[in-house]
Parts: sequence; C-alpha cells; structure tokens
Amino acid sequence: MKQLFPLPHVMGFVFSLILSLVALAVVYFDLSYTAGMTILLITAIVQASLQLLLFMHIGENSDRSTLYTNIAYALFVGVVTILGTLFTMVWGYN
Amino acid sequence: MKIDHSLPLEYSTEENRLKVLGFWIFLGAEIALFSTLFAVYFTLANRYGNGPSAKEIFELKPVLIETFLLLTSSFTIGLGIHAMRLGLKKAMMTFFMITLVLGLGFLGVEITEFVTYVHEGATMQTSAFLSSLFTLLGTHGAHVTFGLLWGTAILLQVRKHGFTPETANKSFIFSLYWHFLDVVWIFIFSFVYLKGLM
Repeated sequence: MKQLFPLPHVMGFVFSLILSLVALAVVYFDLSYTAGMTILLITAIVQASLQLLLFMHIGENSDRSTLYTNIAYALFVGVVTILGTLFTMVWGYN
Repeated sequence: MKIDHSLPLEYSTEENRLKVLGFWIFLGAEIALFSTLFAVYFTLANRYGNGPSAKEIFELKPVLIETFLLLTSSFTIGLGIHAMRLGLKKAMMTFFMITLVLGLGFLGVEITEFVTYVHEGATMQTSAFLSSLFTLLGTHGAHVTFGLLWGTAILLQVRKHGFTPETANKSFIFSLYWHFLDVVWIFIFSFVYLKGLM
C-alpha cells in the first residue's frame, strides 16, 4: 500500500493545496492591486512548475533539451501574446 | 520493434519516445491557444456594459470545489502512472477511474455554475466580459470533457491488453494532457476568479 503513495507525489499535492490557500489570501485580505497580483503570479507559477517537473516528469525524457526549448518557446509566445495585447489594447489608453 | 527494457514501458521503443515528444509539442501549441484566450479575457474583463461585473457573479465556494477536485485528480493520475511503472494493473486502473470520477465532478460543478450565471441574466450575449469569460472557461471545460472520453477509452484498452508498450505509452500521454488541464485551471483560478473577486 505504501509503495502506491510515493512521498514526492504526496508532498507535491499537499504543497499545491497550500499554494492555493495562500492565493486565496488576496480575496480575504485588503491588499493593494500590486501586492495581490504579485502573490497570484508567484503562487500560480510555482504550482505550474510543480506539475511540470514533478508530475509530468519533463526532466526524465531523453529528448529533454528539445522539450525545454519547445516549452520555453511556447511560454515566450504566450507571454508576448498576453502582454502585447494588454500593451496595445489596455495600457496604451491609460 | 526494438524494446529497451532498461526504460519504463512508455519510453521503451523509438516510436514511443517520439510520440511523447510529439505530444509535448502539441502541448506547446495548447499553451499558445490558451494564451490568446487569456489575452482576450484580460482585455475585456472590465467591459461589462449593462450586465453584471466579475465581482457580482463570481462565487468562491463552487470555484474552490472545482479547484480541489481538479488538483486531486491531477494527483491521482500521477499515482496511476507511478503504479503503472510498478506493473500494478489493478492499482493503476483504480487511480485512473478515481481521476475520471473527479473530472466528472469538476464538470458537474462547472455546468451548474454556468446554469446559475444564465439564470442571473449573465449569458454569452450580455457583455464583452461574459463572452470572453464563457469562451475561456468553455474551451477548458471542453478539453476536460474530451479528456473524460479519452481516459475511458484508454482504461478499456488497458483492461483488455494489460500493460504493453502501446497501452503504457497512451496512458502516459493521457496523463500529460490531464496535468496540462490542471495547469490551465490554476491560471484560470488565479487570474480569472481570485483576481475578479479581489
């Protein structure tokens, strides 16, 4: 029974629940917009990395450098899409 | 077909390794897809016109239930893959079934949430904010729905054929898909719901 629940997985799960609770703080406490967004960004990115590295086993693949390049490129495209859209559609008018 | 026994089954042939790599490239494209939907939502989030704003319609309780269900399902499918590597068919199938049930629960809560919104007069046609919200959540929900069908099909194959390089590879790739949906949900949870309620 014990071998079915490897410790890293259990710890990862508990840690992601804790991170979700930390993110909840932005709703319950009266934080400034900057402070709230900083907390959300950090907790979301840590949680996403946890999934990627621990549960998705990205590091164990023999093509791992190709994988990292591909995912890094996809994230770059994603960030440019989101920030670029905000820059041209929202921030430019403030 | 050359099988390398020093590796887990899902990587054991050249074809399997390439399939896993190919799936990661697909996930890269999915990241780009969801980024465009997030970009639209962030642009239109405050354009609610005469309709309700995010703060008025979002409710914390169903969102927390959805988050808990999806996080747990991501954990159980991870345990399923771990059991598969130990060669435990029954344990693997149990974990996959728990995953699918949790996924179904997530979908049930999300559909209830959509029905509540529509009853409150917040439909896709009401405002730019709601159009972009339903598009983003709906695309994620459609992915989960597809995942439920896909996961069921894989379970049936594992039950019939046991662990072979093919079924192990399919199960592993499905687990990557499921974890990815959880990652997308984390961003929806943080930057749609929590930011909207802030």
